[in-house]
Amino acid sequence: MLERFHVPREQEVRVTDAALRQTITDLFVACGVPTEDAATGAEVLTMTDLRGVETHGVSNMLRAYVDWFRGGQLNPNPKQSIVKETPGTATIDGDRGLGVIQGTAAMQMAIDKARDVGVGVVTMRNSGHLGAVGHFSMQAAQQDMVGICLTAMSVLVLPTFGAVPRLGTNPISIAAPANSEPFLLYDAATSTIAGNKIALARRVRADMEPGWIADPDGTPIMEERPVPEGIMYGLGAYNLLPLGGTREQGSHKGYGLGLMVEVLTTLLAGGIPSMVEEKPPLASHHFAAYNIAAFDDVEHFKDSMDRMLQTLAETPPAPGHERVIYPGLPEAESEVDRRANGIPLHREVIDWFNRTTDELGVSRLETM
Amino acid sequence: MLERFSVRAEDQVLVDHEALRRTVADLFVACGVSDDDATAGADVLVTADLRGVETHGVSNMLRQYIGWFRDGVHKPSPEWTIVHETRGTATIDGDRGLGILQGGPAMQLTIEKARDVGVGTVTMRNSGHLGPIGHFAYQAAEQGMVGMCMTASSLLIVPTFGALPRYGTNPIAFAAPARSQPFMLFDAAMSTVASNKIGLARRVGADMEPGWIAEPDGTPVMEERPAPSGSFSLLPLGGTREQGSHKGYGLGLLVEVMTTLLAGAVPRMVERDTKPRHSFIAYNVAAFTDLDQFKDTMDQMLQTLTETPPAPGHERVLYPGLPEHETEMQRRANGIPLHREVIDWFSGITSELSVAPLVTL
Repeated sequence: MLERFHVPREQEVRVTDAALRQTITDLFVACGVPTEDAATGAEVLTMTDLRGVETHGVSNMLRAYVDWFRGGQLNPNPKQSIVKETPGTATIDGDRGLGVIQGTAAMQMAIDKARDVGVGVVTMRNSGHLGAVGHFSMQAAQQDMVGICLTAMSVLVLPTFGAVPRLGTNPISIAAPANSEPFLLYDAATSTIAGNKIALARRVRADMEPGWIADPDGTPIMEERPVPEGIMYGLGAYNLLPLGGTREQGSHKGYGLGLMVEVLTTLLAGGIPSMVEEKPPLASHHFAAYNIAAFDDVEHFKDSMDRMLQTLAETPPAPGHERVIYPGLPEAESEVDRRANGIPLHREVIDWFNRTTDELGVSRLETM
Repeated sequence: MLERFSVRAEDQVLVDHEALRRTVADLFVACGVSDDDATAGADVLVTADLRGVETHGVSNMLRQYIGWFRDGVHKPSPEWTIVHETRGTATIDGDRGLGILQGGPAMQLTIEKARDVGVGTVTMRNSGHLGPIGHFAYQAAEQGMVGMCMTASSLLIVPTFGALPRYGTNPIAFAAPARSQPFMLFDAAMSTVASNKIGLARRVGADMEPGWIAEPDGTPVMEERPAPSGSFSLLPLGGTREQGSHKGYGLGLLVEVMTTLLAGAVPRMVERDTKPRHSFIAYNVAAFTDLDQFKDTMDQMLQTLTETPPAPGHERVLYPGLPEHETEMQRRANGIPLHREVIDWFSGITSELSVAPLVTL
């Protein structure tokens, strides 16, 4: 993450991962989620904060999850059903459950199928926000598979040359295991920047870079400036730009990748894209597992991964940079640090926890 | 494609796609390729030119393919072997064949696996350049599937913050069928710009945009300037870290894992002397949902995209596959424009290999 997005030192309060896990579980249970599901969802969110992925941990989205459960938009105790199934695939109707809670079982199903026929793909419609999709890819990598996870939700991103948003941030994640090196773990929106980064930039008062968002008429904003005060997302509002920013710098590729995610999630799940029919806060997901043993010797694969990741980390850096990193390396370093020293949360987030735990009659989040 | 890359009118010679197909097939046969493979390979290249994908048609790569066959780098009639196989997957050793000739059968194997278990994935190592990989993704779409194709070959892109190239342009292609709208067809390098575009920019005298290539020390070139005459490294999609180059870099690595690593091979950044690796994926739409409903929904989505109000200064919003479809209609009717320099090369090579000359319009 860019330095500007970090919680300023004077604003941070540290909590242990165990304390955070406990409070999230309690909050979910208070919303009507069964205990086991609540613990599963808490693990996803806590791991996300441990890995330093603040945008998708407890700070931005947990309050929305709680509101959606309490407001009835999401079902705390869904009865999901398998709509279609083959040896390598399944399509699931999520019955308006929360993706963060449903993702683990869905990826496990993809993994089991991959163990059977070499590759497994599970799509899910009618489910809520999936959180940091890389978590589920990592779940496959931990079982000697290559994992891919995608999700599509509400419309926030303009197509290249367009003035009205048509796609979600439609993230792509992949994870692959290695022997001695931290696993490869890539997880990123197909917009220049994740939607949650805009909220984060507002909170920590950071500037935006050129090519992140467009003016309400669709023209890419190509100078550095604070996040505008006006309305974000929708007709006549500020919207996100696809990865690349402008056509000359490749935004048609970000746009194409976003559409690819839309097809692999919404369309393959038998759903209707949000650009055609919005159903907030519902999303569609895609979980894929490639069983390494079906393609190659697992040890050989992991050794090759080690050699590749070492080569990347040993690449001579360009002037002004300390080192070359690969996706998953800073996240692994952050996890080691935060397991030992706690997770830094913004004071504002702690205030929200205190208000909400009090309101729901749950014990307060223990700080360090 | 950006306007600056198009062949200028005064440099154009038009050829009919059937004539081009015949000459390309003849040239392959003269190199020792079987008739069937030569016809299939000609279809891959000529379809790219019909769709306006000049970078991956006959102009840039055909001369290399012929050189490789004549120098023995690739075998004109390889015998591939399946190294690992399950119901949904296969890993193939390509026996030093040329990718554009092997991609069709490899995708067909993938499609058959998807018909059996819902999804199929085939990887291939020890193969050659795969050309316009969208062609193979499209092959799946024509059979009611969602198709995906990826390839990894040369070492051209610097990782974000890096000063040495570590992987190739590692393109991703993706195709999905619709009912009445032209199919969605996405095919793009995970660098800001495809490396063949730099060759093309040089030939047509176009400038490069900021964020396309790096200085020799790895610093992104952030001003508009002519393409360099010497060697260069490309930047990952995004260009700079602030504008998301770490995403282009990560997607390039995704392709490296799905092609090279899953094909049981070692990345070129680790061992230099290796052949391209590919990955073919087919998702059988009928295994996931009703195929007719899927195609109708695709139509609705693609229409919504093209009906999106454009930003100031733009005429309309496109989707990947739409301009390629329009170009194909136009070029089937009026011929394919090739640069004079390409026509000269055809004249030279057809006479050298004793093949009938390319007929121009």
